[in-house]
Amino acid sequence: MVNARLTWQREIRHLFAESSVAGPLFTLIFVFILSSLFVPHFFSWRTVSGIVNAATLTGIVTIGVTLLMISGEFDLSVGSLIAVGGYLFGQQCAHNSPLLGLALAFLIPGFLGALNGLIRVRTGIPSFIATLGTGFIFRGAAWILSGGSMLQLTDKLPIYDIFNGRFNLLDDLLPGANFLTSLLWLLGTVLVFQYVLVRTRYGNHVFAVGGQVEAATAQGVNVERVKVINFAISGALAGFAGVFTFCQFQTMRVASGSGTELTAIASAVVGGALLAGGSGSIWGALIGVLLISMLRTAVVLLNIPFIPADNFEAIVGVTIVGAAIFNNWVRQRT
Amino acid sequence: MNTSAKNCPVVEMKNIVKRFGTITALKNVDFKIDQAQVMALVGDNGAGKSTLIKILTGIYPPNSGEIYFEGKLVQINSPREARDLGIETCYQDLALVNLMSISRNFFLGRELVHQFGPINWLKIGEMSALTRSALADVGIQIHSPNDRVGSLSGGERQSIAIGRAVHFGAKLLILDEPTSALSVAETRKVLKYIENAKVRGLPVIFITHNVHHVYLMADAYTIIRHGEKVGTYCRGELSENDIADLITGQREK
Repeated sequence: MVNARLTWQREIRHLFAESSVAGPLFTLIFVFILSSLFVPHFFSWRTVSGIVNAATLTGIVTIGVTLLMISGEFDLSVGSLIAVGGYLFGQQCAHNSPLLGLALAFLIPGFLGALNGLIRVRTGIPSFIATLGTGFIFRGAAWILSGGSMLQLTDKLPIYDIFNGRFNLLDDLLPGANFLTSLLWLLGTVLVFQYVLVRTRYGNHVFAVGGQVEAATAQGVNVERVKVINFAISGALAGFAGVFTFCQFQTMRVASGSGTELTAIASAVVGGALLAGGSGSIWGALIGVLLISMLRTAVVLLNIPFIPADNFEAIVGVTIVGAAIFNNWVRQRT
Repeated sequence: MNTSAKNCPVVEMKNIVKRFGTITALKNVDFKIDQAQVMALVGDNGAGKSTLIKILTGIYPPNSGEIYFEGKLVQINSPREARDLGIETCYQDLALVNLMSISRNFFLGRELVHQFGPINWLKIGEMSALTRSALADVGIQIHSPNDRVGSLSGGERQSIAIGRAVHFGAKLLILDEPTSALSVAETRKVLKYIENAKVRGLPVIFITHNVHHVYLMADAYTIIRHGEKVGTYCRGELSENDIADLITGQREK
């Protein structure tokens, strides 16, 4: 009994030590307490569920982006792949075959992600440039897919509720809460990828490839394979985020998802991932997304005269830089 | 292991030619290392030592020439193939991943796993315990296998890379400038570990431009200058100054 508990504690400590998640978690709690004390209407289930809902779409994308960043690469095309995935899913929903749509929304963005990876490893072009380019191309593909027009459906399909409907169990329990079922999918995906990262051979190789590519190569790790797979995961999760977007609003535009690529990178960094690769965690990424979403909400609720709701980006920017500096400081002390 | 493998050289490279565009980096170089031998590969920066080793470890293909491993003609097309043959390489300070723990580094590429279909679940506890005992076996004490490699000194990092090669039964250990970034005391420690590896029968190729570090320990020296082999000399044949003169070309062979 005592032994079992000790093992659990060791396990948890081990997870935290290896994922350097302590800094971001501390920041999240600090901002939450501060906002609860000073921001009107902040400390309520309504606000908390709003923060979480706003974070889930970016959260799904950030998981893939973080995994990729740990292996030393960037993906700036995920924003466009959200639109590609969203249209693929939405168009099949219009034909009443949502399952086919779901498969397409995973496979095609996943394939396009793998293409990003192949361009990166075969040509040696930095992924920052390569995916900046393919991001525009994929946005063009979304335009071709849709003919440039907005897709909007009025019929409700049961699949919408499965992915992003009302989370009745939680919402009936907590007064004022308005959680969506996408929260469960987000947590499940986080859990799967966190464990892939820290407890599987593949995860070990991801860290090695991003940390010291020469050492990984010399030990027989297939560096190119790891990178291409990570790009494919990043693409597939962006397509998945497109599915969530469509399930929530039943609309999809060519411009949907644009800007998410940068928020995802920001969240990964706020969550403790190193831009240079080799370090980071999926827990951290989740915390990063929640932190940015929380700050947006807090700033909007504060209602400062010169920072109205549509000018909160500046505050978020300041905090991203601040969090990155803070994480660095924490890491150097441990 | 059969007797022929025991008697013939571990590696013999013959007539190796390597060109990069119009530049010929290696001109018909021969190189040989015997069992349980510490062979110093010396030459000035840019002489071609690293190119020769990168051909042996499958990073570059040669333009022409043959490689024999334990007497058999082999083609080495990737670092993975080199390692499957038993050739373990440590590049300067790049042998380990600094952001990862000692045990994760120790088992990198050879992780112990439970296999559930496509999932390879790491046996983390077992790997930690084995890392500690394996390193203790070769005389290296560590504080904890969970420490990040980046928190260790340069000499400790080198010794762990050497200990890893010894533990996994490498047949040839290649060290590229292992001591060039180290203090005098650390260098001495690393040299001791190399000596231990040799006592266990592991042949070592020691690449350096600093003759002083290998002079007392190497059994033989192969000197390379401007992509050509100057010669191979046994211990005691040459003084330290002679070797330095041959490296810089102040004296012809």
